[in-house]
Amino acid sequence: MHDLLAWLEASLIGHAMRGSGVWTYGVVNLFHILSIASLFGSILLLDLRLLGVWRNIPLAAISTPCVTVGAWGFVVATLTGIGLLATKATEYQSNPFFYIKIPAILLGLVNVAALSRLPAWKQHRTRELSAAEQSKLAVYGGISLACWFTAIAAGRMVGYW
Amino acid sequence: MHSRRSFFTAFGVSALALSAVPALAHHGWGGNLDEEFEISGTVVTGVSLAGPHATMKMKDDKGNVWDLTLAPPFMTERSGLKEGSIPAGAKVSIHGHRNRDPKKYEIKTERVTVNGKTYNVYPDRT
Repeated sequence: MHDLLAWLEASLIGHAMRGSGVWTYGVVNLFHILSIASLFGSILLLDLRLLGVWRNIPLAAISTPCVTVGAWGFVVATLTGIGLLATKATEYQSNPFFYIKIPAILLGLVNVAALSRLPAWKQHRTRELSAAEQSKLAVYGGISLACWFTAIAAGRMVGYW
Repeated sequence: MHSRRSFFTAFGVSALALSAVPALAHHGWGGNLDEEFEISGTVVTGVSLAGPHATMKMKDDKGNVWDLTLAPPFMTERSGLKEGSIPAGAKVSIHGHRNRDPKKYEIKTERVTVNGKTYNVYPDRT
């Protein structure tokens, strides 16, 4: 892990983050927060729907905007996050919250991959789901909320360690 | 009617939650001792204006290397401290607050004095 962090810190991204003005970190941080807000906001709405809130609204009506905004949020959060980390990457190697955050993100991604392979998810735009299928999706929604909440909570605490 | 009530409930709850935040806000000073702390030493690594806080490293006469956490980059630069303005090897005096953990050699630094010139990176703090 140390080698990877040292490499990132010494990389072009690390140099650019450190050497391009006193506002660089703040501005990249701003976009990191905006993208996390988009990501978690859409995840919260979609997961609550999967967990059974707002059953009168069709799932597809919620999943369509949430998946798009959430996916873009994830891409921007990852890119800006790599920049923030690269600034002083080696300083995070002894930060316990960092080792909660990264696995929580990876677990969240595994959960997304698993959900998107389910027939119920693939077909939710074109047909009604059975009660059994809905409860199955609810499990993925619950895991998702737990993963992303943990990732964001640990990520915030990284700064206070 | 129902949704309006839940909106006000949510608003009230968040107002309460936010009122508890200032104690912790902005990577606060809570992790550092309240008492003022002063120490002198030799600069090992000069000022870096990278975020989230500007930093430098200093070695005291017992050989301990201290991490000096300065203000955020813009505030540090505004105090007159620039990258390269204090070279490695320079003698500096530091005024600030030491980390609560006695095993951590870290100071949230308010003032740096070098060659009789003081850089006050947190002018609003004593």
